[in-house]
Amino acid sequence: MVSAFWRPTALPSVDDMIELRELTKRYGGRVAVDGLTVRVRPGVVTGFLGPNGSGKSTTMRMILGLDAPDHGEALIGGVRYADLTWPLRTVGALLDAGAFHPGRSGRAHLTALAASNDIPGSRVERVLRVVGLSDVAARRTGTYSLGMRQRLGVAVALLGDPGVLMLDEPVNGLDPEGIRWIRDLLRGLAAEGRTVFVSSHLIAEMAQTADRLVVVGQGRLLAETTVTALTAGHDDLEDAFLRLTSQTTDYRGTDVS
Amino acid sequence: MSGYGFRHVARMEWIKLRSVRSTWWLAAVTVLAMAATGAGVGIGYRSHTPVATVAQILNNSLSGAILAQLLLGALGVLTVTGEYGTGQIRSTLAAVPRRRTVLAAKAAVAGGAALAVGLAASFAGYLGGQLAIRGTAIPAASLGDPDVLRAVLLTGGYLAATALIGVGVGAVLRHSGAAIGFLFALVFVPSFAVGLFGESGIAVGRFVPLLMLLNSVAVTSPTPGLFAGWVSVLLMGGYAVAAVVCGGVVLHRRDS
Repeated sequence: MVSAFWRPTALPSVDDMIELRELTKRYGGRVAVDGLTVRVRPGVVTGFLGPNGSGKSTTMRMILGLDAPDHGEALIGGVRYADLTWPLRTVGALLDAGAFHPGRSGRAHLTALAASNDIPGSRVERVLRVVGLSDVAARRTGTYSLGMRQRLGVAVALLGDPGVLMLDEPVNGLDPEGIRWIRDLLRGLAAEGRTVFVSSHLIAEMAQTADRLVVVGQGRLLAETTVTALTAGHDDLEDAFLRLTSQTTDYRGTDVS
Repeated sequence: MSGYGFRHVARMEWIKLRSVRSTWWLAAVTVLAMAATGAGVGIGYRSHTPVATVAQILNNSLSGAILAQLLLGALGVLTVTGEYGTGQIRSTLAAVPRRRTVLAAKAAVAGGAALAVGLAASFAGYLGGQLAIRGTAIPAASLGDPDVLRAVLLTGGYLAATALIGVGVGAVLRHSGAAIGFLFALVFVPSFAVGLFGESGIAVGRFVPLLMLLNSVAVTSPTPGLFAGWVSVLLMGGYAVAAVVCGGVVLHRRDS
């Protein structure tokens, strides 16, 4: 892999590494992301694991330039997201299953986004087939079920055939068949040499999907490891995860009795 | 290969604008409202004595623009707030992280569409009035008459400017209800406030949108003391640029 530091930022990048350097975000007095330094590599599925409110979504929004960090930076192949020449062809992102106008058809949503990055219409039809929405593409997205909205979000992420995929809780709202589909899709994309960064608070799901893990709690990096290494010495990954994050959970229930 | 540019983003915005129903509803209602106002005015004047003049018919039959400016202003607002209200904005800004390019494309597309709809509506108002007075002694207003043609064209231009102001206000406020409410206040409050200036009201009033529309833009000849119609429309264009620039500053700085 070529170092990106000397490369003029105007050129498209062939380097698909996501690099976070001391990424920090505060909301009022609360620190949502606290000095996060992480490298996400191509060729494997990297799970982004942490309890609710641990800063996963905020981190992903900062990578996409939607939120501005208070300190540090997030780079894709050495380039800030805002400086990418063709953002959708470089990074495909699924942030939430509602990032579209409910009155617009699924096909129109994809066609509009494709136009912005000069992606041909044939690619729109292709990703609609990949996610299984071809038959309902003419329907307004407001009529879609949560699972269909999630699939449309995945279609958007795949639209530009990007080298980097970043998905925030992609299995939310999917049925077991859909969950298996997403798992196979992500593993296949990583096997093609792409960088796949996928957040979840579902440990069991991550155990089956991810190779590497980035574990955060209260915005701080708790571990950057592999599934195998994290599980070693514990009964299972869930046990290991709960021990790791035990000090950082925002809300905790107690036993009923 | 220099990457995406304004051309690509404008295409995206045009596809987005035409693929939601509210756009077509607002366009249709705008044209129908002006046509109906024009026809209503014409019918009202049919048996009027003394016989109405060309200016009376034309000026009044274009007064549907009072409503049209609100509808097209709302169209401009919704191109921005419709995205914030639904989460679409995150898809848009992930595809095009250069936010000022997004806003410029939105302004160009919404402004262009509003100009087309505004001209159609203005012409419909004129036509409605003229058709309604056919067969009476009231003299017909011809589009060959420069004063008539100018009023019809400038009204379309004024309406396009209100849509651009809507885009700017929408980008600043980000909430449909708040932005449309603010836009309505912007249209009506200054024209009432002019009354507070008494004698010098006209000196202030010639800068006020609604008064410009009714006394300078959509008329065969402006009321004495007001700017010429084209100056008023340029002034509206200036307000529109100011609103869009404000929106651009805010959009650039805030988290999405």
